[in-house]
Amino acid sequence: MSETKTLSIKEQNKSAASSLMKKNIRKFLRNKLAVFGLVVIVIMTVACVAGMILGVDYSTPNPTIMRAAPDAAHIFGTDTIGRDLFARVLYGGCYSIFIGVFCAVLSSVVGAILGAIAGYFGRWVDAVIVRISEIFLAFPQLVLVMMLVAILNKRSMGNMLFVFVVTGWMTTFRMVRNEFMSLKGETYVKVCEAFGMSRANVMFKQILPNVMTPIIVSTTTNVAYFILQEAALSFIGLGVADSTPTWGNILNAAKSIQVVQNQWWIWVFPGLAISLFVLAINFFGDGLRDVLDAKQQ
Amino acid sequence: MLKFILKKLAMMIPMLLVISLIVFVGLRSTGIDPITFMVPPEVQSQSPEIVDQLREELGLNDPLIVQYVRWLGDILHGDLGLTNKGESVADIIATRLPYTLELSAYAMLFSAVIGIGIGIISAIRQNGIVDYIGRVLAVLGQAVPQFLVGIVLIWIFSIKLGIFPAANRVSPDATNAFVDAFMHLFLPVLTLTIGMVAVLMRYARNTMLDVLNSDYIKTARSKGIPEWKVYMKHGFRNAMKPVLVILMYRIPALIGGSVVIESVFSYPGIGTTMANAVTSMDYNLVLVITLIIAAVMLICSFMVDVFNALLDPRVRLGE
Repeated sequence: MSETKTLSIKEQNKSAASSLMKKNIRKFLRNKLAVFGLVVIVIMTVACVAGMILGVDYSTPNPTIMRAAPDAAHIFGTDTIGRDLFARVLYGGCYSIFIGVFCAVLSSVVGAILGAIAGYFGRWVDAVIVRISEIFLAFPQLVLVMMLVAILNKRSMGNMLFVFVVTGWMTTFRMVRNEFMSLKGETYVKVCEAFGMSRANVMFKQILPNVMTPIIVSTTTNVAYFILQEAALSFIGLGVADSTPTWGNILNAAKSIQVVQNQWWIWVFPGLAISLFVLAINFFGDGLRDVLDAKQQ
Repeated sequence: MLKFILKKLAMMIPMLLVISLIVFVGLRSTGIDPITFMVPPEVQSQSPEIVDQLREELGLNDPLIVQYVRWLGDILHGDLGLTNKGESVADIIATRLPYTLELSAYAMLFSAVIGIGIGIISAIRQNGIVDYIGRVLAVLGQAVPQFLVGIVLIWIFSIKLGIFPAANRVSPDATNAFVDAFMHLFLPVLTLTIGMVAVLMRYARNTMLDVLNSDYIKTARSKGIPEWKVYMKHGFRNAMKPVLVILMYRIPALIGGSVVIESVFSYPGIGTTMANAVTSMDYNLVLVITLIIAAVMLICSFMVDVFNALLDPRVRLGE
């Protein structure tokens, strides 16, 4: 009997946290669209990765079956030079999803660090970083990306990831900066500072965890954003090299009006793959926001 | 108010200068020699002295900052320079830019009318048929890539139905300029409008709902004012302010979108020009277009600021 009463504060916190977690999971599971989103994300990712591990042949052209309509052997048909489209969509998924996740996470990290520094230190540090972000925001992102592609002068995966991260950190930055501005006046921050805790510790160990929720939600939706951005850039022919089958690169074939007219499968299947995946991420992100956003609870 | 406007205008100049400097230095430090595109390879290999002379004439041997100042001077005198093929950049911009402005302006206009219209109706008739269609459209509009919408529209209207042309802006055999413009603009404008409406509608719906739940609407109703008057005079006018600001904020997305959409419809605007200039490494053209777009963006954000200040005195008093 007495054992239950002598739980330490740490243990009490732990059990409270786990019950909050359970509550959140229950709340998430009640949101049917969010669960649908999660299921679609998992299925598509697993299918794409499985395709890559099994090493389906996506690159060998077969001149005898060029532009073949979908049938039992090639369920998505073949493309303009006779490559199996299903294999290409699977492989393309790996690249596109990787680009989306990598860029979303890294641009959030960059945005969060810069936002924390600008918001915490304020004054001229803040002014300088805000000016830089304003210069980046003075361009439509796609134009900025095109300009950087011109400067880097080479179409490769590494360059594209770099360009997306460089042009994608501003929204997270603004959000984190504003949160830090208001949080740094809180008593607990003052207490930490009075105890002589280092600035880096105060910033990243004490304040940042309180801003994690909106960062996680915006990172999720940014995955969809970067996938769409990659598709658009590859479609106009400035994305990764043609040999890499991203979803956008596959769709690039639909720039030809003959393909649009006669080979519907070449643009319908990769188009559906992108739309379905992005839709799933948006549903999942909305569900996550509903669960995590304390203001709505 | 005048002071506020002047101050905001004055802030645009250093921004443009910094942007132009960064873009200029960035593009010049790519290590690509513009000479290689101007002079045929035979001439380059046989008579390098001509190449050297040309390089000296163009000032390519000077330090970057000297080149920048000279280039800036030229721009301010209205000389935008030449492309790699020797065409006048100013001429290209003068023919291409109006096409893009036309495309964006129509898309803006229609998406504002349609987006706000659907948004308001779905706020008034919550969970009605318009609200339902609007919500589905919003979800799809944010998931389907815009260029894919364009492709589907081409497939339906140009290929299956054969009503509208799938490419270009002007037909060589056009008899009526207005009809010709309408035919070519319809699909690209529709594509851009669909994308914009998906976003605008949600904002319009949410702000209208906020307004309709506020106390002064209840007061207006309790005074016995007819319902339509409550919506139009008390609701609509107050809900419009944030929506119009969002409309302004969407301009970058609109311009970015039109770059892709121009490519789908082979539309000869500034976007396709930029994409071609990047692929053919025509950096003077890239530079000028980037600056024009940056200037347009700055003017838009300036307009948002002025607009906000006009609506809300706190903004300009805070400055």
